[in-house]
Amino acid sequence: MIELKEFTCIECPRGCRLAVRIDSGVATVSGNSCPKGVAWGAQEAVAPMRGLTTTVRIEGSSRRRLPVRASGDMPLSRLLDAMAAIDPVVVRPPVRRGDVVLADLLGLGVDLVATDDLEADAERGAE
Amino acid sequence: MIRRVDTDVVVLGAGPAGLAAACAAIESGARVVVVEREERVGGILKQCVHDGFGVARYGLKLTGPEYALRDADRLASLGAVVMLEAFVSKAERTDGGCRLACVDRSGVVELTAGAVVLATGCRERTDRQVFIHGDRPAGIFAAGLAQYMINVQGLLPGRRALILGSGDIGLIMARRMTLEGMEVLGAHEIKSEPSGLSRNVRQCLDDYGIPLELSSTVTAVHGSRRVTGVTTARVDAAMRTIPGTERDIDCDTLILSVGLIPENEIARSLGVPIDTATKGPKVDQNMHTLAEGVFACGNAVHVNDLADYVSESGETAGRSAAAYAASRLKTGGRAPERRLTPLDAGPGFLYAVPQFVDLAAPRRGELAAFYFRSRATETDGAVVRMSAGGTALLERRYPALRPPEMERFELDTDAIAEAIAEGDTAMPSDRRITLEMGRRSAL
Amino acid sequence: MLVIPRRISHQESRPREPNARKAAARIHRLHGEGIAVSEARGSIRLEGEAASYGEKVAAGWTAAGFGFKGVVNDIVVAGVAEERLESPAVSDGLLEGAYFDVVVIGGGVIGSAIARELSRWDLSIALLEKECDVAVHTSSRNDGMIHDGFAAKPGTKKAAYNVRGNRLWEPLCAELGVDFKRPGSLVLFRSPWSAALYPVLADRARRNGVDGWELWSRSRVAAEEPNVVADQHGGFFLPSAGVLSPYKATVALAESAMMNGVRVVLNSCVTGLDMDGGSIARVLTNRGACRAGVVVNAAGNWADVVAGMAGDRFFSLHQRRGTDAILDASTASSQRHILGMPDFLRMHSRTKGGGLVPTVEGNVLVGPTASESPGREDYATRPGELAELEKHIRINGELSMSQVITYFSGVRPCTYEEDFIVEKSDRVANLVHVAGIQSPGLASAPAIAEDAARMAVEIASGFTATRPRSGWRPDGPASPEPRRLSPDGRNALIERNPAYGRIVCRCEEVSEGEIVDAVRSSLPATSLDAIKRRTRAGMGRCHGGFCTPRVMEILARESGVPLWAVTKKGPGSELCVGPTKGARS
Repeated sequence: MIELKEFTCIECPRGCRLAVRIDSGVATVSGNSCPKGVAWGAQEAVAPMRGLTTTVRIEGSSRRRLPVRASGDMPLSRLLDAMAAIDPVVVRPPVRRGDVVLADLLGLGVDLVATDDLEADAERGAE
Repeated sequence: MIRRVDTDVVVLGAGPAGLAAACAAIESGARVVVVEREERVGGILKQCVHDGFGVARYGLKLTGPEYALRDADRLASLGAVVMLEAFVSKAERTDGGCRLACVDRSGVVELTAGAVVLATGCRERTDRQVFIHGDRPAGIFAAGLAQYMINVQGLLPGRRALILGSGDIGLIMARRMTLEGMEVLGAHEIKSEPSGLSRNVRQCLDDYGIPLELSSTVTAVHGSRRVTGVTTARVDAAMRTIPGTERDIDCDTLILSVGLIPENEIARSLGVPIDTATKGPKVDQNMHTLAEGVFACGNAVHVNDLADYVSESGETAGRSAAAYAASRLKTGGRAPERRLTPLDAGPGFLYAVPQFVDLAAPRRGELAAFYFRSRATETDGAVVRMSAGGTALLERRYPALRPPEMERFELDTDAIAEAIAEGDTAMPSDRRITLEMGRRSAL
Repeated sequence: MLVIPRRISHQESRPREPNARKAAARIHRLHGEGIAVSEARGSIRLEGEAASYGEKVAAGWTAAGFGFKGVVNDIVVAGVAEERLESPAVSDGLLEGAYFDVVVIGGGVIGSAIARELSRWDLSIALLEKECDVAVHTSSRNDGMIHDGFAAKPGTKKAAYNVRGNRLWEPLCAELGVDFKRPGSLVLFRSPWSAALYPVLADRARRNGVDGWELWSRSRVAAEEPNVVADQHGGFFLPSAGVLSPYKATVALAESAMMNGVRVVLNSCVTGLDMDGGSIARVLTNRGACRAGVVVNAAGNWADVVAGMAGDRFFSLHQRRGTDAILDASTASSQRHILGMPDFLRMHSRTKGGGLVPTVEGNVLVGPTASESPGREDYATRPGELAELEKHIRINGELSMSQVITYFSGVRPCTYEEDFIVEKSDRVANLVHVAGIQSPGLASAPAIAEDAARMAVEIASGFTATRPRSGWRPDGPASPEPRRLSPDGRNALIERNPAYGRIVCRCEEVSEGEIVDAVRSSLPATSLDAIKRRTRAGMGRCHGGFCTPRVMEILARESGVPLWAVTKKGPGSELCVGPTKGARS
């Protein structure tokens, strides 16, 4: 069976329009401007994967939220589950970018890591 | 007592443009003071927790804070003086450069400098500027304001949101609000094509099943205390609402992503001529405005899609400002001579930056960056040609050109100067630099 | 919505005997047999049905021409529900059992000015305002113009109060520390024909007692206002016209009254009046019932409803919407005077036609429009209104619609006689009505306040000793405005309090210190809009894009509420629904 799918590649701002042809489980990607598009298009056609960036709560600081990211992509279908798992996470200063704030998110093999520094300050959090 | 500080270069703003400018200026040997209105450097990137920054500059997909931290670290290691939570209350040009009155929590500081770099970024257009009618209930937010509330303040602006406009911040916020548990009912774009990058339509709307309604707008807001709903309507090709297509939608939040405007209030007070197309200062390839000693970069000059290009123009502005200040010091205050030749962008372009090329002092061996946006979407292989003195210097074919996507190319300014010099004997029109668009056959 | 008809008013300055039969005949002829006309205790009352609000108002206007005390218009309009006065969500016993010699209902510019006048007397006074701040409705929704008094019809209360109020505002503003400017008003002639009207205009100005007027030639106009591009034939210049910030003035009046002992109770809505014989015994509110010696009805667009609570509904108010647009501050230097180019053919007693007003803050304001439209608090702007303002913008060649930074609507409370009511009730012994204070109500406010306060004090003297308050002070509480200080003065202020050095609103250069002052003042600002009215934070070209989160932080910190509970304009207008990370169920 041959299946044809079209996607806008999200690997870079160029946003190439990819055409993916799947023939007996083998994906052929066209429309890409770089090799990244081939890998992404092939994956997207089978099981879309996405990165996740969000924030976590802070205690003990005048700042209220710390930006974080998942260390790798996860299935698109699991993003909202991941968000729910992140809701209770609270960090306290100091935090350095790259610090793991939650290990092995949902057992997906990716960690939640800080993407910003959080220094201790004199003021108390006002939330 | 009012403090008085003299320096070579003052950089206004510590977002990506200002950070790059300050670093480049220090690396070029200048003493630098950075004036930043917020409590931390990084500008708008601090609230851009999503990734996608740095692909062009570093070959990496960084988040906003990660991207900003790289420049902040660099600046810290260079030892710049950074005034935080500081505000320029008065700016004027003087014989020696410029004088700024700044206010911060320590008092009034008078800064004098040989050159100033405007890295003041841009602001969001408001609901009043797009003439939405109704009362003024709580619940109407510009997308960037909602982004600050959610990502920095940890506040949920509402439960059910509708987005007007399809600029990148609005698209990014559609995903962000969905992830934080809000219901996003759709993005309505008055134009017939999205304003944001297509990858953002894909990963911020399509991924979550959020509809993008093209040729559709919000005509009225309901509610007097808090938004209770909006009326949407379809529009015709002339963007007039089509009677009978009105639809009332229940929501408690309206997010506006209807464009950005360069901040140029200080530029105006310094007498810097503004381009009506970009709404930012007109600059040459060194990011030098038409006012001597005043440089500008980043979104203050024109609204960029990528932070990477903002940083690039910041580097140029910082380096140029340092060189300018040093040159004035060396020559006892005399401003270096400039020979500005306008770049005429044809009708196919919304705008091109820089608007001028300074041919008096081309930087040997260095390439100048040119940016442009097409006026309309061109999908059948538009050809862009830059010529000087009647000689074509660059010709490039683009598979697709879209107004939301800024294009960039580089050119050796020496080559421009030579082409103009050769054409000098001919018609005065040959001394121009032109940017044209067409099909290859037509050009 | 109805644009005012061209037909001129039937009102006449000479009072005549009320004649219900003649009135009925005329109303039936012009507005249909379906309208029942009756005489009720000196007023003429209309009942029946009308197809539109415009027709209802037109019938009211017709009824006003027959010498009755007032017009009570109970005509029902299909699809337009009678509006109910809604109480704020607050419900407590704050006022329960309290007694005041005078209760003033309504914290607009009129109520606030009356409260301040009353505070000269050694009386216990309360000012009740249903909103979370003063000046929320008509008093913050106008052009800030202190009219010269030329436009009002000679012989009306409007004309007399306007001219007197115009003279009083300047010294009053000096006392209160509120900015006042007198740019003067230039009425441009659009044709040689209108220029020929000069003797008529001058005669009217003379009859109203206006302070000065001049005829300007075409070349004089061109020299004084070089940006006027409209084809003008000279102008009629009225040097006494002024401008001020209507909300700042109202806040200052209320705060000055408070400094002199007046109790300002916000979020308190009058829900009824308990009568005892021919007097009001108790004022019922959502915050409890209080006793009152005298009641002053300054309830703005609800004044007829309040009158009805006392059984003294001898007039009905109708609503005239007005929309104004404010242009970017960069327009400040484009004109020196208030400019208007009315069409004299279309002018009548109900509107002055609008124009371009250089505001006291330095923006140019365009407006207002005027249209009869139901909705006592309907401030939704409508598309056609802005188009209407464009004709004024075209007068000044430096202005364009692209400079509009905001626009807003207000509602003028109007009687059918189109004149003010400032009088003791002839039916309730301890009630003073100050009603129908439409344009030029702001200009007239200090004069109206003097008279209304005098009436209240006369009534009060019947039950208590009325002596001047000792130690009465005319000023308001002054807060520093760092942006207006010299660099040295500003520096010294910041050294004393660094909060004055942290700029929170960069468009209008407002510091944290000023916002803290507004929150901590005797009449505390408790919402974003209240902060905006007092400090201008959020009023500039970015519309709060930058300062909103910062003002929210200060408001939350200073008033001890959670960040998400900060409101735009009081309960029900919360900016957020809660923190993130707690939304998922």
